[in-house]
Amino acid sequence: MRPHAGAPMSRRRFLSLSAAGAVGGAAALSGCAMQVSSGVGGGSGETITMMVKADDITPDLVQQALKDTGIAIKRVDFDITKLIAMLTSGNPPDLVRGVGAVDAAYFAAREVMEDLDPYFAKSAVLKRDDLDPVNDLWRFDGRTQGKGPRYGMAKDFSQDSMYWYNTSAFDRHGVAYPAELEPTTYEEWLETAQRLVQRSKGQTSLFGGTYNGLLKATLMSTLTASAGGSLFSDDFSRIDFTTPEARKALGWYIEYCKLKVGASPIMPDPNGWDGPTYQAGRLAMCNSGYWMGGMIATDEKLAEVSRLAPTPVFEGGPRVSACQAGTGLWMPKKAPHKDAAWRIFEWYFGEAPAKARASGGWGIPTLKSLRPLMPAKAEHQKRVLKVQENELKHFSVVAFSPYTTGDSFEALFNQVAPAAMTGEISVDTLAGRLNSVLNEQLKRGKEQVG
Amino acid sequence: MTVDQMSTVADRPRATASAGRTRSAGRAGATMTARRHRAFYMFVAPWIVGFLLLTIVPMAYALWLSFTTFDGISPNWHYVGLGNYRELMNDSVTWDSLGRAGLFAVVSVPLSIVAGLGLAVLVNRPIRARGLFRTLLYLPAVVPPVGAGIAFKNLFDQNAGATNGVLTFFGFDAIGWLADPYARYVLIMTVLWGAGNIMIISLAGLQDVPRELHEAARIDGASAWRTFRSITVPLLSPVLLFQTVTGVIASVQTIMPMLLAPLATTGGLTTVPQSNYTYMIHVFSQYFALGRYGYASALLWVLFVLILIATGLIFRFTSGVVFYNVDPEAKK
Repeated sequence: MRPHAGAPMSRRRFLSLSAAGAVGGAAALSGCAMQVSSGVGGGSGETITMMVKADDITPDLVQQALKDTGIAIKRVDFDITKLIAMLTSGNPPDLVRGVGAVDAAYFAAREVMEDLDPYFAKSAVLKRDDLDPVNDLWRFDGRTQGKGPRYGMAKDFSQDSMYWYNTSAFDRHGVAYPAELEPTTYEEWLETAQRLVQRSKGQTSLFGGTYNGLLKATLMSTLTASAGGSLFSDDFSRIDFTTPEARKALGWYIEYCKLKVGASPIMPDPNGWDGPTYQAGRLAMCNSGYWMGGMIATDEKLAEVSRLAPTPVFEGGPRVSACQAGTGLWMPKKAPHKDAAWRIFEWYFGEAPAKARASGGWGIPTLKSLRPLMPAKAEHQKRVLKVQENELKHFSVVAFSPYTTGDSFEALFNQVAPAAMTGEISVDTLAGRLNSVLNEQLKRGKEQVG
Repeated sequence: MTVDQMSTVADRPRATASAGRTRSAGRAGATMTARRHRAFYMFVAPWIVGFLLLTIVPMAYALWLSFTTFDGISPNWHYVGLGNYRELMNDSVTWDSLGRAGLFAVVSVPLSIVAGLGLAVLVNRPIRARGLFRTLLYLPAVVPPVGAGIAFKNLFDQNAGATNGVLTFFGFDAIGWLADPYARYVLIMTVLWGAGNIMIISLAGLQDVPRELHEAARIDGASAWRTFRSITVPLLSPVLLFQTVTGVIASVQTIMPMLLAPLATTGGLTTVPQSNYTYMIHVFSQYFALGRYGYASALLWVLFVLILIATGLIFRFTSGVVFYNVDPEAKK
């Protein structure tokens, strides 16, 4: 019989509580001595909190996780404000969604991320030599992204400067298809887009091509890298759009916007992204990497006429084909259930969900061992895979500054750049203005990091 | 002993008893009053607690933040005194956005009040299916702002929107409604689209206007316009004042530009065109895109003070033209 509240404690109960206390204390002490799980089986019976978007982990996957690992997942909608509130109140989620390309260095520099190297070292699921180089987006050595400890991992990825094109649009206009494995130049890409665009009375019925990247921050830094330069100073504390390479990248993007061959800040797509327009057959070239193949494959007719093309290059520039996102998960330093979180991390990135993602065609798996699962049955899938496999040889990590966020770059860029897109100011004036507002933001960020 | 004295003496026990009753009645009255006061405070306590916790505390916290460089996550934030306010004074983007918000209020508030009042007058007439018209006109006001934003984005899309479809059908060139410089007109149209809200309040006000005044004016030979101008509008003036004050407050705080931007999320605020980059969008941008909690809090406190001043000025300048039809006895 259970004693009522306030009743004196029986000897049996005292002994059992003492034993439980001793076991708990020992567990706590051993936890202090060794905080890293052996990998498989850690944290069973616990509940972890994951702050992700609804698509990242469906209710079915939550059930699957419980079955596979014994760990319950409580999903919290990703919201940066909520995340900051949780981090500052000392009660962070156990795993958080992040965009490796822009978030990793930012959060790591602020020392809120857990260094996952000790976990990777002991994991039997996520072996370091099996990790695709894209996961380097989640490394930061205190100064440069791509080096140093690992703070997270990408769930899948694409080389986002590649582009899809619709062969029927090319056929209609008698324009030759881009080469399958050799890149076109950015200049040629723009010429092709101009030849393909169809307009009447100020309305565009067929867009020649879109080239907005995933984020302006990663778009501009990868374009500058393609021109052979770097957008940031060596210590990432300054930005310079007036260098010949950055000026070339900026000038090309502004020209793209001015020509109105595709969506831009001065001709926004109400959908917010290119997918629906491409799906409707109203977009000839679409700057989205391999991942958009997942959407294209849902429509057989569209899949038949769609081709993936290599990332363009600037005339005389290097071949740079970066990942502009590398979305994945990281673990806050103060996460309350680290071992359980790591077990889910392993499961999410190396077990059933990772395999399902790899075979879904919505992205390249981030473990090399999962590459054979990429869809390659249909003719169109084989074609796409051939181009993609060739492109992987040109992958590189374009490092981003830890002193600003992708959102802040985007906000300041979109505040200043439309004037140049409408021809009110020159590209050189724009470069100066961008330097001014973005360097001010970087300066503030550097002061805050210390 | 005089008769008076006799009666006084005779009445003494009764008077004493009466005084006792008065004292006990007084005590009972005081107890009753205290009980009533206690009941009042108990009933309002939940609201007061909520107000303190959810309004005063966050406001005070924001005031504290406005003196710091807090960005939510960085380790080295510090107290800067009036630094954020000084920066704000010299920030041209802030003043431009405030100017746009002010202009939006100056244009949209009178337009929406006139539109709402016009609709109210129309649906106040004894016409067939009046209830249906009232419902239909009020319907847009019920649509959530996010839904309205999506509808307007699709309606005004340059390349596939119905608005440009009509324009090109009649031989005109399509317009980039959602980009500069036309985006501001779409924003104003969203306000007019939701004028049903103002219509409902004006309708309630119209139904409070005594019918006999209209009849007397008609007997005196006043035209419909004169009756409206000299009787209806003065009697509606408190309603119009209420709509002006709440309209100004709502319009300077509107986040509709964000909902009209391609991404109707916090990410959308980075794609708001310049002509719609109003003060609140600037605040959102500072908070959520740039992570400048301190500076954004200073912006909000300045807006709070400016709204107080604007409200005071509206009351001051309308005191001579607003007529309260209040029963003097009811004031006691």
